[in-house]
Amino acid sequence: MPPGNSSELLISRTWQPLPGTTDTWIFPEIRKIDVISSNSYLVRTPEYLLLIDPGGIPSQAEMLASAITRCRQQVDLPLVVVLTHAHVDHFTGMQSCPVLTDPGHAILAAHTTGADAVEQADPDLTQGDVLGRAFTPMPVGIRLFCGDPAEGDTAARTIRLPQGIEGLLIRDRFIPEPGISIDRESLVFSGTHVEVYHTPGHSPDSICIRIGRTLFIGDLLFASNPGVAGQHGWSQDALINSLESMLAVLRTGSVDIVCSGHGRAIPASAACPMLERVLSDARVLTGIAELTRQRAEDTARFAEDCMEEINELFTILAGRLYYVSHVMGELGETETAAHAGTLIDAGELDGLLESFREFADAHHAQEKQASILLALKAGQVIGKLERSFMKDELRKIIDQSLVTRAERLLTSYSLMLRGFTPPQERESCPLCPVVEAIIIGLTGPSCSDDDILSSTDDTEAFCRMLLARIGTRPLLEDVNVSFERDGDPSVLIDRDLFSDLLTYIIEDLVGTGAARVDLSVTADATRTVLTITGRGMDAAGKKAGPVRGFYIRLCERAGGTLTGEAIPDGRRYTITVGPAG
Amino acid sequence: MEIVATVQDKVTVLAVTGRVDTSTAGDLEETISRTIDGGHRRLLLDFSGVTYISSGGLRVLLATAKKLGGADDRYALCCLSHEVHKVMKLAGFTSILSIYASPEEALAAW
Repeated sequence: MPPGNSSELLISRTWQPLPGTTDTWIFPEIRKIDVISSNSYLVRTPEYLLLIDPGGIPSQAEMLASAITRCRQQVDLPLVVVLTHAHVDHFTGMQSCPVLTDPGHAILAAHTTGADAVEQADPDLTQGDVLGRAFTPMPVGIRLFCGDPAEGDTAARTIRLPQGIEGLLIRDRFIPEPGISIDRESLVFSGTHVEVYHTPGHSPDSICIRIGRTLFIGDLLFASNPGVAGQHGWSQDALINSLESMLAVLRTGSVDIVCSGHGRAIPASAACPMLERVLSDARVLTGIAELTRQRAEDTARFAEDCMEEINELFTILAGRLYYVSHVMGELGETETAAHAGTLIDAGELDGLLESFREFADAHHAQEKQASILLALKAGQVIGKLERSFMKDELRKIIDQSLVTRAERLLTSYSLMLRGFTPPQERESCPLCPVVEAIIIGLTGPSCSDDDILSSTDDTEAFCRMLLARIGTRPLLEDVNVSFERDGDPSVLIDRDLFSDLLTYIIEDLVGTGAARVDLSVTADATRTVLTITGRGMDAAGKKAGPVRGFYIRLCERAGGTLTGEAIPDGRRYTITVGPAG
Repeated sequence: MEIVATVQDKVTVLAVTGRVDTSTAGDLEETISRTIDGGHRRLLLDFSGVTYISSGGLRVLLATAKKLGGADDRYALCCLSHEVHKVMKLAGFTSILSIYASPEEALAAW
């Protein structure tokens, strides 16, 4: 981000005094939040330059190198590059930058576990594998938190920086308040005191750094986020401890500014409730799956499937509201029409959906496999949709089925990204009543003629009924439907997911022009087959593409398999389910 | 998105190609407004080249229906792709907008 405005706590790309110090300055690089690169903080002390997290992209490292070079034109100071943790977005940008790696002038420091990961190019601990970013091993000159303090490794160690400058590393336990004990290491030079706290959880090598009244917390604020929690090396117990520890540090009142690995600097007073929320999220993250490369790819594929459906469903929801608003407006119900128009912010919705499409197009243009970046982007979009989704209000106006499926889609994706398996509750049930319930639900209006007639004495109730009647358009009202069955076989399915699938399929057939929908159930000892055939389509409807991956995977989660085929005057879907037990 | 305007039998046909989304819906609305302001109140939108429509695009279609609600006005769409038809059908638009399979069918109906 170019130099920021002066209302920020710290101004990006500008030298400014570091609060709580007399002769230490800071030059931050504060980026828009992404997973490509972290923020960087270049600190100038009287004895040395300290670069906290050089970031994940070469251009950022080059920009910092220029600042360092300009600085050295005044005083030639050695550089210590320190990593809050060894994830690739925090350090790989420095690899091709001589100013940051020249052993004559710079030295790399990291927690000893992170140091191993950097020196061995560990693809798991550095997240290089999940993010698809390889790097060459680098030597780490200063290993923090070496040895086991329980074994008595608490003595001061001398550290030597390039250009012969010497300092001390002193390890001890810091007790900010009773009951909280933090593993601490202090870098002490003649005029500068830097405290480093070991704060594992986000990764085993995570550290927080305090200089003066500023606390650098790495990725602690994001450690409970979907797609972050569960990464290799992530630990729920350790994270809870670390969050409690840093909250205790903040409660001592010794910190004014908290600098995160991503996003703006925040006042300590605002950081406390933020960390409390992360802590509260961390406490419920029991039993999440590790974010391996395989899970990252599965999640990314699910992300694209979901986003395709979300795009269509939310556009339909917004369109339905326009329709309701239009009809109510025509009927002179201007207030109701205006209210319906406010339930979805179509501009925001389109912007979000468009931002994902652009991101996905750019992602695929680089011929990459769908990666965790795509999954995280989808998570960002879906999170915003979830926050603005006025489902209860919408349910009063629009078909329950549309709103419920939209809600389930958002929830399923959020769960998957967090590392939980989306819920599947398979139960043995007769199939035909499930199919009949769907057909009935898609055929009749949400409120009957009698309901409307009986509400005519109450203006408000009548308006509500009218609104619901207009907003809930029975999908099958002008479609010929038949349902043939061969007995009433019981099947083992997740009823909700199966109902969603059948609704999606019928919507797909009717939406693409089927004038007739024929359903049939046949069964033998080994399987039950439900076919859904849409007929009477025009040329455009018949040439609809292959079965959507989303439908296929939804069917698998529901307990069956799905195929699709074109027939002379339409299309047919076939769902095959095993017997109930 | 591209829009090509032609006039056939006193009907202005706007042939739209591409995506009608958040970045292009405004262009479509502007072109339609210019057409109507120019006194051309018989309008056919040929969507044979439209692969995607967003909620912003749907709003433009409905706003146009409002503008062309006079007794002598005519407004219809034709040649919807199955994706666009599905969204319009499920949103309820097919019951308030006239939709035809081809431009010829639309012109014959007027």
